[in-house]
Amino acid sequence: MNASAHSIPHGHDDRDAHGHDDQGGGHGHIVLQYQPGLPLSKGKLIMWLFLSTEIMFFAALLGSYVVLRFGAAVWPKPHHVHLSEPIGAFNTFVLICSSVTIVLALEAAKANKVAMAKNWMLATLLLGSLFLGIKGYEYSAKFSHGIYPAQPHSRIYEKPDLYYGSAVRARLDELRKVPLGLVPAGLRDEADRSAEAGGTVDLLKRLDEAPAEKLSAEQQTARGRFQKVQKMLTNPGQQPFDLAVVADQIMPLPSEGAGSHGGHASGLNDDFPWLRLPTVIPGGNMWASTYFLLTGFHAIHVAVGLLVFAILLTYRLDRKRAGMIENAGLYWHFVDLVWIFLFPLLYLF
Amino acid sequence: MSEPTAPADSHGPITRVGAPSSTVAHDHDSGHDDHGDGHGSHGGIGQYLAVFAALCVLTTMSFLTYSSVWPWRDQPHVGWAFMMAVSCTKAMLVVLFFMHVLWEANWKFVLTIPAAMMAIFLALMLVPDVGLRNRMVSQERLLHMARPNDLLLMEQAAEAQVLADPVAH
Repeated sequence: MNASAHSIPHGHDDRDAHGHDDQGGGHGHIVLQYQPGLPLSKGKLIMWLFLSTEIMFFAALLGSYVVLRFGAAVWPKPHHVHLSEPIGAFNTFVLICSSVTIVLALEAAKANKVAMAKNWMLATLLLGSLFLGIKGYEYSAKFSHGIYPAQPHSRIYEKPDLYYGSAVRARLDELRKVPLGLVPAGLRDEADRSAEAGGTVDLLKRLDEAPAEKLSAEQQTARGRFQKVQKMLTNPGQQPFDLAVVADQIMPLPSEGAGSHGGHASGLNDDFPWLRLPTVIPGGNMWASTYFLLTGFHAIHVAVGLLVFAILLTYRLDRKRAGMIENAGLYWHFVDLVWIFLFPLLYLF
Repeated sequence: MSEPTAPADSHGPITRVGAPSSTVAHDHDSGHDDHGDGHGSHGGIGQYLAVFAALCVLTTMSFLTYSSVWPWRDQPHVGWAFMMAVSCTKAMLVVLFFMHVLWEANWKFVLTIPAAMMAIFLALMLVPDVGLRNRMVSQERLLHMARPNDLLLMEQAAEAQVLADPVAH
């Protein structure tokens, strides 16, 4: 009981708690004052209440990820889905640095060093933006491999079965009737310019007829592989295995020994990016759903934090604002905390 | 605990607030009294930098499980347990030092422990329906879901080099 009765409110903005001696002094009666049950300022209390709901929010997301992942029959290796561990580790480092800079901004503000506080705050904002930039780069790498969380864009198939084979055939048929405007630069023809607007181009035929000097050395060998893959699709011998070969040619799953080589083997989709053929990543659909959900919600939190920092930067960051900076910092540290768990769970497990 | 300075002070929540207790020079250990004190830095910038260095070292440690230095590559569970231990350590460091929880009064338990319990139960509740979902599968799911032998098939295909020009693996 006494513990809470005598404690002094933590925040600096709680100055009404100190003033009652002056008010009550001359009137001959004691002015009583109610203390809040928790010895901290309202802003900080609300921030901590919010953070405790955030703990549950992210625990539900992380928990469902763990449960989905370990309950799955097959889960892709990080290299199957083109995750780069060094990039993830670097992003972790960036977030840790930003946690330090916001703490230093708070210390500077408490010491009334306004310019210094502003500089540390700016550094935090820049580091947070760097994190989002790297995340965006990673997302675009996923998208370029046809890894999306949902169907219209996603080109992930779970296994090399008949459904996969017919999806590849359907895409090849599409490539035989590509509208003029969508022909990739390397395969454009003089005749295209004079052709009428509604015309289509058979890209597969055009690739076959392309002169060797228009293609790089890798593309020349890839063209030969592609022709064999097409034959294999139209006349498969031992179907399930042939389709596994087709899938391996289109986008190979890098073998184990992840540490040995960082890059991934090049498939037809990499040699000719315009092919955009369906790929096989066993367990890849569930992986994509959880990956984008987890990192997406985390990125939204980072973006909100950046917004708060941008708003704080418009203030004079002196001792009076220390409470505000502390609350923003609490939020930011929590965002860092979530990433501390996300990084190993997504990149290293 | 400070001793009462006026009779009114003994009335529990109705209290008179004195001048802030004089700040003690904070050694890292003498700093956590039950008073939330609003003065100065808790541990000083040197301590923050030490925590920062520890966080960097820990991140490197969990990254080591990915490198070829890691001796238990064939037993993923060792790496998982290690990484989770490292992550929990990092989380504790951030919470205790950067979020100042080490120096907060006892309210910190009121807010964090129920939330943590809730978090753990939320995840546990998912185990029967989601975690064990592949124990019993419908015919349709069986048809479409990937199975380990699909992965095996892909690996065999990669090794078979059926096509004349092998892919540069």
